[in-house]
Amino acid sequence: MASNNANTPSAFEREQIIGMMEKEMEYRVEMFNKLTHTCFNKCIEGKYKESELNMGENSCIDRCVSKYWQVTNLVGQLLGNNRPPM
Amino acid sequence: MDPNLLAADLSCLSEEDKAKISSIIDNFQIRDSLRTYSSLTERCFSDCVNNFYRKSLGKQEEDCVMRCTQKFLKLSMRVSIRFAELNPDASTQ
Repeated sequence: MASNNANTPSAFEREQIIGMMEKEMEYRVEMFNKLTHTCFNKCIEGKYKESELNMGENSCIDRCVSKYWQVTNLVGQLLGNNRPPM
Repeated sequence: MDPNLLAADLSCLSEEDKAKISSIIDNFQIRDSLRTYSSLTERCFSDCVNNFYRKSLGKQEEDCVMRCTQKFLKLSMRVSIRFAELNPDASTQ
């Protein structure tokens, strides 16, 4: 469909934007899920003595999230440097 | 999942496109809930059920599964709070 107005994106551009948004959401959801599972594996023992998180587990979780995020940024930087921009 | 947090600029899209995006987001949430359900089941089963002398779950196994599930949900909540603190300006990635 031809656009009459410079601000209206073409059908192709709209598809691109929606596609990009989908990819970004997929990435975020996957990242969050991996973060959750990884920190669970690292911080919680498989015995489940009680249903509450104790103080040690809470600190572990906080630090795990912080470190995971730092690793994400670091890997992103390193990958960005080795590849030409799209 | 909040559409305001995405880097892509959605402001120039039509109502029809916004409805499309809304349903994409809904699908994501449904998919994510189902995935959490099945992975949590697998995890708690693997950790809590270790013998097959009986057909039904014993009290210990049941309690273990309950604690496992609750722990995971609490952890998940805590992770999302911490994650949001680390990533407040979510419009840049």
